[in-house]
Amino acid sequence: MSKEKFPEFVELIKNKGKLFGPVKQKEKYSYEEIKDYSELDFDFQRTIISPKKFITPAKYTTLRFVKFGQTEVLPDDEPQIVMGVHPCDIHAIKILDRLFLGNIKDPYYAKRRENLIIIGHSCLPDDKCVCQSTGTDMVEDGFDLFLTELDDFYLLWVGSDKGLGIAIEAENLLEENVSEEEIQEYVRWQQERSSMFTTSIPSYKYLADIIHLNYDSEVWEQFGEKCLSCGTCSLVCPTCNCFHVDDKIMMNAEEGIRERMLDSCTLPYYSMVAGNHDFRPDRTARLKLYYTHKLKEYIGRWGQPSCVGCGRCIAYCPVDINVITVSNALFEEVCETQEVCDQ
Amino acid sequence: MWQREKKPVVGIFGFSGCAGDQLAILHMEDSTIDFFTSADIKFFHMAQSHQEVPKVDVAVVEGSINTERQLKELKEIREMADVVVALGTCACYGGIQYLGEDVETFKERMEYVYGKSGEVPEFLDLVGQPRPAQPISEYIDVDIMIPGCPISAENFVPIYTKLISGLLPQKYPMPVCVECKYEGNDCFLLHGKYCLGPVTAAGCNATCPSIDISCIGCFGTYEGANYPSMIDKLKEIGLSEEEVIRKLKLFGGNKVEQALKGD
Repeated sequence: MSKEKFPEFVELIKNKGKLFGPVKQKEKYSYEEIKDYSELDFDFQRTIISPKKFITPAKYTTLRFVKFGQTEVLPDDEPQIVMGVHPCDIHAIKILDRLFLGNIKDPYYAKRRENLIIIGHSCLPDDKCVCQSTGTDMVEDGFDLFLTELDDFYLLWVGSDKGLGIAIEAENLLEENVSEEEIQEYVRWQQERSSMFTTSIPSYKYLADIIHLNYDSEVWEQFGEKCLSCGTCSLVCPTCNCFHVDDKIMMNAEEGIRERMLDSCTLPYYSMVAGNHDFRPDRTARLKLYYTHKLKEYIGRWGQPSCVGCGRCIAYCPVDINVITVSNALFEEVCETQEVCDQ
Repeated sequence: MWQREKKPVVGIFGFSGCAGDQLAILHMEDSTIDFFTSADIKFFHMAQSHQEVPKVDVAVVEGSINTERQLKELKEIREMADVVVALGTCACYGGIQYLGEDVETFKERMEYVYGKSGEVPEFLDLVGQPRPAQPISEYIDVDIMIPGCPISAENFVPIYTKLISGLLPQKYPMPVCVECKYEGNDCFLLHGKYCLGPVTAAGCNATCPSIDISCIGCFGTYEGANYPSMIDKLKEIGLSEEEVIRKLKLFGGNKVEQALKGD
């Protein structure tokens, strides 16, 4: 598809439901509702909040109740389309899908996911992108459509039946034949992109072992002392999905709602159970849980770690505790000499 | 069945403060009628003339304790109430007046504000001997704290309605940062600007950061606050230690005082 046709393509998608896309506001990017093509801005690395906000929103009502009855509140049916989703975030959605749509389906997630159309967009890395290390810099599925942006044209990849439907509808805007030069340009672009990554997670392939060997390391204490327990890491992480449930009774004391809101394992009472027993009263233990769960325990349960290298923790932790600083510190801890570390 | 057979008796009491928290309750205009009908409000300092109350199920107490007479009244409230709720930052942590906790006599206080000519007006005898400002938890057991300067209705209502329904509100402390990220805001600290979000209790829906104003901590301390790390961070941004501590103490009151002494 040539770039001139792109606004028309966006118009066509807009008819399918509520359109969201990356919008620049001051220094930050976020996925906002798009009324006009001109609001879209694809020149970005990451939004503060990942597209998880479309499937596990920060706060929503799941139930309404009165004194002697209740009604479940399911999300509405209107399709939501999100444009400009980068490969890492698509991988994150795949991880969330496995969790929420596995043996026990979460009805709220399932409904939102069913109504979500994901239109991926290619990107170029900055110094915070570590998706090459985590192997999530490329994506083959998990999207409906994916646009690779090259100099004068887009390559449009179809990833689902829904996506195919849109592509067929947009037939007039698309060119079926991709020329030899265009393929060459794509390959060159991919090669160039791969060479642009400047940051990597050390020893990512055996990081789980490093974490295991370092379970009682003092490194955790050092990070625990620094951690503000503010929960930002969990809320910006595209795969963090823990939630907290609270019932709210209205002022008339006759009716109420049940709310589900995003939570973080770094918050003080996260591991509190009945009888006021708290398994992780100190920050160090909670931070250790965050990183061991994400980078190690997840592998045993789901076959891969739940880090997609999006760089949000690197960009948004106010005290520099992130997947790079933590893995670096742990790696250095087990290196006998600096030479081993450098290898 | 989650409501008591009988409407619980509620008393809303006020000590030293601007009375903004009681006003915030009266200002919930959409639910004012529900507020006065869902419980038996036997005493409301700001909204009713003085009435004698022998016993309440829930006592909601606003303001800090500044005189001997207030202390006596506070203890009486504790005696007659099943549940005591500290309402607003003054009652929870001492409020802004806690900054002057070392100025003890009325004479000293008047002179501090008005200079040497500051005379102690006679009517002050009515309120009894002065004490340094303290949160109510300094003197009595407090069951629930609802901070805020002023409190936010969204934070107050769910806690209050559970109490009058005979249920125990969930205690789940979060910092302002959590609500700030719910709103999708950028972080001030990352752009070299001060913000007390990480050490401040949530409940305000990140009102200020959402309109691009740093959090000044008006909801008091967050239970999981890491003060040493926060102080380091703010110093890194360019604030002096003195400035940082003053900012923290402005609303953090006794909790910040204790935390700083402890470390």
